Amino acid sequence: MASACKVKAGDLGKIADRVNASFGRYKAMLMVCTGTACVSARSFSIRDRLALKIAEKGIADDYLVVGTGCNGFCAVGPIIVVQPEGVFYQRVTDKDLDEILEQHLVGGKPVERLLYEDPATGKVHTRMDEIEFFGKQQLIALRNKGIIDPENIDHYIARGGYAALGKVLEAGDPEAVIREVIDSGIRGRGGGGFPAGIKWQSGRRAAGERGEVPYVVCNADEGDPGAYMDRSIIETDPHTVLEGMLIGAFALGAREGFIYIRKEYPLALVRLEKAIEQARSYGFLGPDVLGSGFAFDVSIHRGAGAFVCGESTALMASMSGRVGEPRAKYVHNVEYGYRDRPTVLNNVETWATIPVIMDRGASWFASIGTGDVAGDPWAGSSGTKAFSLVGNIANTGLVEVPMGITLREIIFDIGGGIPNGRSFKAVQTGGPSGGCIPASKLDLEIDFDSLSEAGSMMGSGGLIVMDDQTCMVDVARYFIDFLVDESCGKCTPCREGLFALKRILERICRGEGEEGDVQFLEELCGTIGATSLCQLGATAVNPVMSTLRYFREEYEEHIRDHRCRAGVCKELITYRIVADPCTGCLACLKPCPTQAITGEKKKVHVIDEEKCIKCGICREVCTFDAVEVV
Amino acid sequence: MIRVNDTNVEWRSGMTVTLALEAMGYDFPLISVFVNEQFVPEIDHDSFEIPDGADVKAIHIHHGG
Amino acid sequence: MADRMEITVNGKTVGVQKDSYLLAAVTDAGFEVPTLCHHKDLTPGGSCRLCLCEVEDGGRKKLVTACNYPVRGPVTVRTDTAEIAQHRKILAEMYLGRWPGVPVVQMIARECGVTTSRFASEITDDAPNACILCGHCVRACDEFMIERVLEFAGRGIKRHLTMPFGEVDHHCVTCSSCAYVCPTGAIEIVDDKNRPLDAKAIRDHGMKVNAEMATLDSKQCRMREVGTANIVDVMDAYDLLPVHNYKFGKHPEAKKLYSTTLKAEYFTQGAADACWRGCSMACAKAVDGFTLKTGPYKGQQVLVDGPEYETAAGAANMGCFDGDFCVEFNFYCDTYGIDTISAATAIAFAMEVFEAGVITTKETGGIELRFGAADEALTLLHQMADGEGFGVDVGQGIRWMKEKWGKDGEHAAFLQDIGMEVKGLEFSEYVTKESLAQQGGYGFAIKGPQHDEAWLIFMDMVNKQIPTFEDKAEALHYFPLFRTWFGLMGLCKIVWNDVVPADNAVQEEAHKIPGHVRNYWKFFEGLTGIELDEQKMLDQSARVYNLQRILCRMLGFGTRKDDMVPYRAAGPVTREEYESRADRYDGQLADVVGVDPAGKSTEEKMKILRDFREGQYEKLADAVYRRRGWTEDGVPKVETLAALGIDLPELVEVIKADQ
Ligand SMILES: Cc1cc2nc3c(=O)[nH]c(=O)nc-3n(C[C@H](O)[C@H](O)[C@H](O)COP(=O)(O)O)c2cc1C
Ligand code: SF4
Ligand code: SF4
Ligand code: FES
Ligand code: FES
Repeated sequence: MASACKVKAGDLGKIADRVNASFGRYKAMLMVCTGTACVSARSFSIRDRLALKIAEKGIADDYLVVGTGCNGFCAVGPIIVVQPEGVFYQRVTDKDLDEILEQHLVGGKPVERLLYEDPATGKVHTRMDEIEFFGKQQLIALRNKGIIDPENIDHYIARGGYAALGKVLEAGDPEAVIREVIDSGIRGRGGGGFPAGIKWQSGRRAAGERGEVPYVVCNADEGDPGAYMDRSIIETDPHTVLEGMLIGAFALGAREGFIYIRKEYPLALVRLEKAIEQARSYGFLGPDVLGSGFAFDVSIHRGAGAFVCGESTALMASMSGRVGEPRAKYVHNVEYGYRDRPTVLNNVETWATIPVIMDRGASWFASIGTGDVAGDPWAGSSGTKAFSLVGNIANTGLVEVPMGITLREIIFDIGGGIPNGRSFKAVQTGGPSGGCIPASKLDLEIDFDSLSEAGSMMGSGGLIVMDDQTCMVDVARYFIDFLVDESCGKCTPCREGLFALKRILERICRGEGEEGDVQFLEELCGTIGATSLCQLGATAVNPVMSTLRYFREEYEEHIRDHRCRAGVCKELITYRIVADPCTGCLACLKPCPTQAITGEKKKVHVIDEEKCIKCGICREVCTFDAVEVV
Repeated sequence: MIRVNDTNVEWRSGMTVTLALEAMGYDFPLISVFVNEQFVPEIDHDSFEIPDGADVKAIHIHHGG
Repeated sequence: MADRMEITVNGKTVGVQKDSYLLAAVTDAGFEVPTLCHHKDLTPGGSCRLCLCEVEDGGRKKLVTACNYPVRGPVTVRTDTAEIAQHRKILAEMYLGRWPGVPVVQMIARECGVTTSRFASEITDDAPNACILCGHCVRACDEFMIERVLEFAGRGIKRHLTMPFGEVDHHCVTCSSCAYVCPTGAIEIVDDKNRPLDAKAIRDHGMKVNAEMATLDSKQCRMREVGTANIVDVMDAYDLLPVHNYKFGKHPEAKKLYSTTLKAEYFTQGAADACWRGCSMACAKAVDGFTLKTGPYKGQQVLVDGPEYETAAGAANMGCFDGDFCVEFNFYCDTYGIDTISAATAIAFAMEVFEAGVITTKETGGIELRFGAADEALTLLHQMADGEGFGVDVGQGIRWMKEKWGKDGEHAAFLQDIGMEVKGLEFSEYVTKESLAQQGGYGFAIKGPQHDEAWLIFMDMVNKQIPTFEDKAEALHYFPLFRTWFGLMGLCKIVWNDVVPADNAVQEEAHKIPGHVRNYWKFFEGLTGIELDEQKMLDQSARVYNLQRILCRMLGFGTRKDDMVPYRAAGPVTREEYESRADRYDGQLADVVGVDPAGKSTEEKMKILRDFREGQYEKLADAVYRRRGWTEDGVPKVETLAALGIDLPELVEVIKADQ
C-alpha cells in the first residue's frame, strides 16, 4: 500500500508499472476467493493460513496470497485460483493447503482431487478457462473479479483503474462525457433500463436551470432475494464503482455523492469504506481530484433493508430520514431528488461499467449486445449484464454475459443445465416481481425489451431456474407472499390488491379454488398493474400474469380437478409407498415427524394418510424411489 | 397616463399589472390589485393589461411586525 | 410569475397554471372524480388512486392520479374512460371489502357503481369509524403543526397509524388537527380539558387558521421560514427601515440583515419554537450553535432565540449591517433582560449625538460611538447590564439622556428633535416621516411609541386609503381598539394579518382582514357563549382603552402634550436628511403645501415643511380626540365614559378637572 501523498493523473501509469513489476517477481499468485459465499465457508481462514504457511516455508518472496472478491462460481467455493497459469481449485478446506503447497507450489503438480469435474461430461478441468461456466462470459463490470485484492487500491490502479477518470478530467468537457455515455447506449442495470446518459443529461440541465449543485447516488440496496450482483461488484472491485461515480459527478457538476447500501452487506460495507478511505488518501476523492481542481466526495448511507427502499423515490425518502415510501414520479429525482436538489441515481453495476465505457469508447460498448443504439439508446440493449443463477441449476453462481445471449445458453451452457436428471420447466427473471418464462421461450435473446414482451423483466438480473417438480401456482403464491410483506402499504391497489391475490392463490393451492377465480385474478392484476403508485406494485402482478399466460392449465387443474401436477401443493397430494420398489429397509420410519409410517423389516411399509403432514421427508430419504406423490 | 395609488404613472401599451407594480417598486407579497375597481387575481398579473387612463389600486395588506 | 396554459378535459378547454395539480383543472372544467385521500388544505397523498385520469401527452396516453399530477404541458385529459371506470370499481371494491361500514367508503362505492365486494376477508373491519389509511391526519400533523407525531407503521397490509413506538408521544400538542381532518372519525377527542362552551365552533375556526398557515404562508410572508424578519427586506424596499437613528429609510448594506440572509446563514430550521406548543405558525426562529465573540459567555456556543424584525431593524438603526452583530446583540439583550428595541433606539440616539459632537469620548468613557460601531455597541450593552461607565447613561433611556445633555440649553432643541421617544418610551423600528397616520399611531398609543396599537403606514402612505383627517382618525380609533381587544383576549396578531385568507382581496374592508376578525369573535363566542359583532367588540375594548388613558392621567400623563412626537418622526431634522430626499420634499412643498421651492435655501424649505407637518399633526390630534370622544386636550369626556357604562365616580373624579 502506497503512502498518503496525493496522486496526479500522470502518476497513475507509474503506480501501475510499479505494482505490475512487483507482481512479476512472484512465481505464482494464489487468488483466494473472499466473496461472501466463500467467506461463509471459511475462506478468510484459508487465505490467512495459506499466507502463514508460505511464510513459514520461507517462500514468501516467490508466492503471494491475494484475497479477492467473488469468483462467481459460488456453487463450488471456497475457490483458489493459482495465477498466472489459472489452475482452478474448488471446495478447498484448511486441510488441503499443505497438499497445494507441497505438491503444486513446490512439486509443480496440480492437486488433482481439488480440480473441477464437469458433472455432465465427467471431464476434469485444470484451468479455469476450460470450465464451461466461464466460457461464454464477457466481463466488464466484473472485469477484475478474482484478479485483484479489493482492499488494495494499487491493485485496481495496476489494472488501469482511475485512468478513465484521469482522461475525463484532462479533457475537461462534461458535455462530452454525457454524449459518450448516451452513445454507448448503456441502460440502467438496476431494473428500469433507463438510458443512463439521458438521465445524466436531464440532471445536468435541471441543475443548470435552477443554479443548484446536483447529487449523484449509487443504489446498492439490492433487495431482490437471491440476487447478489451488486454486492459482488462492491466486494470484488469497489473502486470501479467510485470511479464511475467520479466520472458521473464530473459530467453533472456534482460535488457530493452517496452510496445507499443495505445493512445486511457487512463485507461489502467494509470494503467500500476502505476503498473510500484509500481513494481519499490518494486524492481521488476530496477537494482536488487528481490535481484537477474538481472536488468530489462520497459518503455512505446504510439502509435497513426494505425491498421497497431500492425504489428511487423511496430511497431518497429513506436517505432523508423519512419513512421509505415511494412518491409519485411525475416530478423526477433528476429535477427534485435528495434534499430537493437534482439527483442522479444509478445502480452499482451501471456505475461500475462507466469507467470501461470511457476507457474503451462508446462505440466499442455499443457494439456488444442487441439493437443499434448508436442514435438512440432505447433502440436496443448494449453491453453486458450480470446475472445471479440460482434455483434448480447445476452451476449456481454469478455470471456476466453480453446482452442478447439466449436463456438456453445461460442455463444450459453456463449453468450446466438442470441437475438430478430433471427437466427444465421455467425460469423466473427479474427478481420477485419478474415473470416466469417457459421452455418454449428458451431461445429468447435476452435484453430489456424482449423480457418485457415475454411478460417478465430484466430487473436487477436474478435468474431462478425451476425444474418440473415446481408448481407454477405455488410459485406465484410464493412471490406474491413475499411482495405482500414488502409492499410499503401506501397505495390501495398494491396494499389491498396483493393481499387479495395472496388469499386467492392460497385458496387455489389448498384446492378450494372456485370457478371465476382465474378471471378475478386477471381483473385484479389489471388494476394493480395499472394503478399502483410505484413499480413495486405495478410489476408485482408479473408472477401471476406470466404463470397465467404460460401455465394456465395448472391453475385450471388446481381449481377444477384439485390436482397439483408437480406434487407440491400439500392439500392436493397424498404420499404413498409403492409396494414394488419398497425393500422394507426401515429408513423412512424414524425420520417421519408424525410416525405416520408403519412397517417391518423386509416388508412393504405403509403411510397412514391421516397422520401424514406431507413434509416429503420419506421421499427424500428413500433410496429406492418407493415413495410417490399422487 | 394611469394612476396607481393616486400617483401618476406613464402608460405604455401592453402595460400589465406586473409591470405597473414594478414601476412603483412594489414587491411586497400581499398586494391586492384593482384596476378601475375590478379585482385582478394574482395569477393574472402577468397577462392583465391596464388600459390607458385607468385608476389602479394596489392595496398592501400589512400591519407591522 | 405563473405560466398559464390551456388543456382539454373531456373535450372542454380550461386555463391552468403551469405546475398546478390536474385535479384543480378537472374541477374547474366542471367535472368530478372520486377522491378519498385528497384534502383541500393538505399536500396530495396520491395513495387511494381513485382520482385516476387518462392524460394524453404528445400522442402517448397514460394513467395518472389527478390530485398530484402537475400539469406541465397542453395535455388532453379524460376522466371517465371505460378502463378508468373499471379500475375505480375494483379500487372501490377493495375499500368496501375492508371497511364496509365507513360512510365515506359507502359513498365512494356508490359513486363508482359498486354495491358488493369480492374483497371481504378475515381483516374486514365493519366499524363505521374505522381508519381507512387516507393519511390526512399524518399530513395535517406535519403540515399544519410542523410536528410529525403521527405516522404509518407496518408494511403492506399491516400498515397502520401510530405514534412513535406505539406510545402516546409527548410531542403531540393536542391540537386535534388530526381528528378534524379525519374523514371517518377514527380519531376521537376524548376530553377537551379546557371545557369550552362550544369546542366545535372554536375548532372550525382554528382549523381554518391552521390550513391557511399550511397552504398560504409559503406564498405570502414566509413567516414559518423566517419569522417576522420577512419585513426587513420589505421595509428597506419601501424606504421605511430605520437607518442611523431614523434619518433614512433604506441602506445599500441592509441586505446583510435581510430575511433571505438570515435564513441562509443563521436560522436553524426546525429549531423553531412557538409561543405556545399548539401554534401552527411558530414564527419565533432560532439560531443554533452560535459562538459568542464578546461578553461573559464569550467563546461559548449558544442557541439564540431570534432575531425578529425589530432586532434586525434595530441593528440597521445603529448602522450595524452585520448578521453576527445582530445575533449577538439579540442574545445579550435576551440574557440581560433588556428590550432589543429600546436598547437599539437608545444606542442609535447616542451615536447620533456623538457624531454631532454634542458628546465626545469624554462622556462616553473613550467609546468611539459612531454609526456602525458594532463592537462599541456591544461594549455599551455589556456596560448597561453591569451598570458601569457610559452604559449607566444610555441604559436610562433617551428621555433621561436628552435632559442630561440638553441641560445647558444649547443642544436642547436638537436633542428634542432627534430623541425618538414619546412618554419616555423609545420608538419601535419604523420610519414614519411620510405617514401622518402612523406618526399618530405612535404618538397617541397609550403606552408610548409602539406599533402594536396601529400600524398604518401602508394604508396611509402606500395605498392612500385614508386620505382625510377623518379617515385617519377612524383608523386610529378602530385599530387600537381591535388590537387592544385581542391583546386582552391573549390572542396573537400574526394570525390576523401576517397570513390572509385567499379570498381576502375581494372582501369588504379587506384591509381589516374581516375573515380573520370573525375568527377571533368565533373563538370568543365558542369559549364564552357571548355573541359578538364589530360594535360589541369595539365597546368591550373601548372600556379598557379609556380606563388605561385615565390611569395615565392619574400618573400625570395622558394629555395632548404627552402625545406629541419628536420632529424626526414627522420630517427631516437635518440638512443631510432633507437633501437625501430633496425631490420628494420639494415636490411636496409645491404640490401639497403650495409653495414654490425654487430659489429657496434648504433651511428655508425645511422650515416651511416643518411648520406644515407640525400643523398637520395638530389637526390629526383634533380629529382623533374627537373620534375617541376625548376633549381637545386628549382626556376622555365623562359622557364617553357614560356611553360605555364606565362612568364610575372614582374615574370621573380623575378627569373632572380636565373637562
Ligand atoms: C420495488 C423496487 C425495488 C428496487 N430495488 C432496486 C435495487 O435494489 N437496486 C437498484 O439499483 N435499483 C432498484 N430499483 C430500481 C430503482 O428504482 C432505480 O430505477 C435504479 O436504481 C436506477 O439506476 P439505474 O438506472 O442505473 O438502473 C428498484 C425499483 C423498484 C420499483
Ligand atoms: S405500489 Fe406498493 S410499494 Fe409502491 S407505493 Fe404502492 S404500496 Fe407502496
Ligand atoms: S385516522 Fe382518519 S385521517 Fe388518519 S389515516 Fe385513518 S382515516 Fe385517515
Ligand atoms: S463468493 Fe467465492 S465464488 Fe462467489
Ligand atoms: S385522491 Fe387519492 S390518489 Fe388522488
